[in-house]
Amino acid sequence: MDLREDAVGDVTVLEVKGRIDSTTAPTLGEKLTGALSVPDKRLVLDLRQLEYISSAGFRVLLLAAKRAEEAGARFVLCGLSSKVRQLFDLGGFLDLFAISASREDGIAAVR
Amino acid sequence: MTTAETTITNRRGDVARVSRLVSELATAHLLSPGVVADVQVALDEVLTNIISYAYADDRIHQIRVRLTVASDVFEAEVEDDGQPFNPLTVPSPNLGASLRERSVGGLGIHFVKGLMSDVAYARIDDRNRLILKKRLTGGTEADARGSA
Repeated sequence: MDLREDAVGDVTVLEVKGRIDSTTAPTLGEKLTGALSVPDKRLVLDLRQLEYISSAGFRVLLLAAKRAEEAGARFVLCGLSSKVRQLFDLGGFLDLFAISASREDGIAAVR
Repeated sequence: MTTAETTITNRRGDVARVSRLVSELATAHLLSPGVVADVQVALDEVLTNIISYAYADDRIHQIRVRLTVASDVFEAEVEDDGQPFNPLTVPSPNLGASLRERSVGGLGIHFVKGLMSDVAYARIDDRNRLILKKRLTGGTEADARGSA
C-alpha cells in the first residue's frame, strides 16, 4: 500500500494505492487518526487505485469516520471501483460512509 | 493444476507472505483481478481470525496454507492447531447499525462466506481445517490459451 497526500486549498486528499488488509491497515489508521485530530479538518480519501480492502481496513475506516464525527471534521471517501464498491456493499458500508464519485466531487463535498 | 504451500506462524507480520504467494500464483495463471481480490480478502480474514482468536497461549504456532489453482477453481486450504472453531457457525453481523453503534465483529467471516463459492470446515486430528473455493468461471485465461 502506498499513500500519497495532496493539499487542495484547505482540503487534504489522501490517495491509497494497492491493498488495505491486516498488514497495511495499521499504517493507514495512524495516518487517518493523525489527520483527523486537527480541528475543522477536511479530508478526502481517494480509493481510485485501491485493489481491495478487508475487514481490518474497514475497521480503520470506521474508527476514522467516528473520530471525524466526534471532532466535527469532514471526511469523505471517493473513487470506489466496482470491485471495491462490491466489498463496501457486502459489508453494509455504502450507507455508513459519505461517498463521492470523483475526487472533485469529494473535495466539493467537504468544503 | 498448480499447488503452492507455505507455513506461517501466528504472528500478524506473516500474513503478508501468504498474500505474496497468492499474487505469484495469480500472475502465473493470469487470474482475473476480481477473483484475486476475493481470495486475498478471504485469506486475510481467515488468517487474522486464527492469529487473533485460535490460541489460548502466547506460544508460536504453525499455520499451514496450501493453494491450488485448477482449471475451474482456486482452492485454499488452511490448517491450524488452535482451539476448535468452525467459522461457519458465526452469526452474521448487524449490517444495519448506525455509524456510532457499528462494529466489525463477525464481518471477516461474513466476507469469507460472501466472496467464496464454497467454504468447508473440518476438525481433524486436533486441527482446524478450512477449505475455501473460488470458482473460476470459464477456466483461467492461461487454460484458454493452452487449449487453443
